[in-house]
Amino acid sequence: MKYFFNGFRRNDGSAGTRNYVGIVSSVICSSAVVREISEKVDGTVPFVHANGCAQLGDDLKLTKNMLVGVTTNPNIHSALIVGLGCETNQVSGMLKSIPKTKPITGIGIQQLFGGENTINKGVSITKEWVEAAAKQKREKIPLSSLTIGVLAVEHDDHSLATTTSVIGQVVDELVDSQVNVIFGMSKTLEPAGDMLAERISDADEKKKLIDASKGLERLRWSDAQLGSKTFSEFTDEQLHSAKLEAKMAGKKPISSVLDFGEIPNKNGLHLMRNSSNLVESLSKMAAAGCSAVIIVSSRGVLTGSVALPCITITPETDPNSFDELVDYTIKNNGNNDYKEEIIALLQEVCSGKKTKLEELELGEFSIPHLGTTY
Amino acid sequence: MKFFKGYRRSDGSIGVRNHVIVINTVGEVASLTKKVAQMVPGVIPIVHQAGQSQSLEDIEQTMNALLGTAGHANVSGALILGMGQDDTAEEIVKVLKNKGRHVHSINFNKTQSISEALREGKLWLENAKERSENEPTEMADVSELIIGLECGGSDAWSGITANPAIGAFSDSIVKDGGTSILAETTEAVGTEHILARRAVNEAVGQKFLDIVKRYEERAWAAGENIRSANPSPGNKVGGLTTLEEKSLGCIKKGGNSTLMEVIDYAQRPTEKGFIFMDTPGYDVESVAGLVAGGSQIVLFSTGKGSPTGSPIAPVIKIGTNSKLYQNMPEHIDINAGKIIDSYLSIEDIGKEIYEKVISVANGEVTSSEKHKNQEFSIWRLAETM
Repeated sequence: MKYFFNGFRRNDGSAGTRNYVGIVSSVICSSAVVREISEKVDGTVPFVHANGCAQLGDDLKLTKNMLVGVTTNPNIHSALIVGLGCETNQVSGMLKSIPKTKPITGIGIQQLFGGENTINKGVSITKEWVEAAAKQKREKIPLSSLTIGVLAVEHDDHSLATTTSVIGQVVDELVDSQVNVIFGMSKTLEPAGDMLAERISDADEKKKLIDASKGLERLRWSDAQLGSKTFSEFTDEQLHSAKLEAKMAGKKPISSVLDFGEIPNKNGLHLMRNSSNLVESLSKMAAAGCSAVIIVSSRGVLTGSVALPCITITPETDPNSFDELVDYTIKNNGNNDYKEEIIALLQEVCSGKKTKLEELELGEFSIPHLGTTY
Repeated sequence: MKFFKGYRRSDGSIGVRNHVIVINTVGEVASLTKKVAQMVPGVIPIVHQAGQSQSLEDIEQTMNALLGTAGHANVSGALILGMGQDDTAEEIVKVLKNKGRHVHSINFNKTQSISEALREGKLWLENAKERSENEPTEMADVSELIIGLECGGSDAWSGITANPAIGAFSDSIVKDGGTSILAETTEAVGTEHILARRAVNEAVGQKFLDIVKRYEERAWAAGENIRSANPSPGNKVGGLTTLEEKSLGCIKKGGNSTLMEVIDYAQRPTEKGFIFMDTPGYDVESVAGLVAGGSQIVLFSTGKGSPTGSPIAPVIKIGTNSKLYQNMPEHIDINAGKIIDSYLSIEDIGKEIYEKVISVANGEVTSSEKHKNQEFSIWRLAETM
């Protein structure tokens, strides 16, 4: 094994790069309580969001899957789920879906007769877990125990020209080293779907990409009424950019195309359908089991994830492109071995080095909507 | 005549609170919004993940909600944080400045570093906070109040105690020249004929029937039955069996007054009196819409005990039963259960609500304010793109 890092071993065979105690709200109504518990106990991270009630079908399923996913994330040492009581997304249902490989407890505001009791109970539970987590030491673990996300954000042809082949090499190297890689597929990459489909053997997975290249099925209220399910054709510029961006996903075979907060069931390179909302995309990656994400952009991004470190990589650009938020710069005419340097940085960050976004404590969590609330 | 002390704004509106807020236009700036708010004590951060990668109808709805929140009468000063090109922060500031409101925008657009932008934000907020502390109050008539009517975590008592008492209050304030806004279109399903009959004219009645129909069709078109999300599991434990039953209880909050106007989400009423706003049954999103539409205070009945509030409007919690009041006194302001076990009438509790509304307008802190229940979310109509 070529690459190692110092991380936290988990009972289910996975490994974490951070050792957080997670506090997860099942619904927006318990978010104030979750935030307050987290403010009172250092070492905890709050997972608050706007969803959890008055949702239907796939929209509700996505909320539940994503919350179950982040609870299961290897960076989470233990997790407290806090509900209200009367919400659609019931804590008991979440507990049934979460594998019992780490300390998990669920509590509810109505069941405990109020926010104050719930906060007190939550503080005492999570304090104990934080103490237990503090005793756990980092161990030398193969990098192949990790799932790493790669997300391209707000780039242009100019920045892609510098970043795409370097990141492609990084992705190939990680996949060759048996690291599980999830590559974010947002709207800008969709036109290259048929090109990427050639790298997939499974017929069902292949079809997902070919469909994407025709324009994703995006049900809008007005479209749904008319029975229309696709966007109009992509322009030549969109196709060109997408093909450039696709190089960032390297050259290795693609195992699967993930959606709806799915967790990959085998190692390899996976594509994950993402919205263009940065916070939602990072949250989806956290829910799919990523322990760290490499963000590739034309600029520093203004927020990361509460669940995992985000390494920001940009091409060398004009000054003031939010440089304070950038972890690594790819120079236009440098002779560095970018691939090795980026993987070395990834190992350092996975071993505990804080990213710029972590230093500034910029992190969020959010769940996308697939439809309206009721 | 009933009066309260409020803060007169340059656009003529009158607030019952004097908050300084920071609000983001797009999700990526949410963390920085909280960060800059933390730098100045007493400043309220309002964050959300709407505003980008949305369908046009959602972009429009988000814009209305942000305008209504940042320009709300309860807000003394608002800092709006945006990023990149085509951001709405500057547009929001332009609209509100034209009305003379105290607002400022910072756009993270690479022309200044993050630390410079945060420093600018902190300075502006410190000034805004100081400015707000020197603003005088003046006496105003209750006819200037807009009260939002909401329910969350309903049970079988809701339609018997708290909601009819809210209805009695609503009729009183409407009689006094004020405004009340009933909401939650989901919970009008099955009872739309009752409210439509109370419309001031055929056009208002028809608009009401149309939004209810549109609501149910929106669910059917997405292959879903609205009735499977509502009543919620907690509603059922509380004794509600169908959406129609929940709805019959819900509309009791609207009393018996004439329905003067039907408005869209986060839209400000142009009429006084009893109004209906098109919002989802999801209480936090509904309250955000009612407040963005100008409600200075929201009445919120609950049977199961829901603690949620609003970042800028005091929310008064009305419990439907005495057991809830005994179990969760910290979250309940008024116990309507007394209608059942203390021989008080619906009108008695209606009066108690009215007194509480005046007292809260004058500054009394509600339970949701005390516990910093500042939940905020904008109703999303379609999938994130």
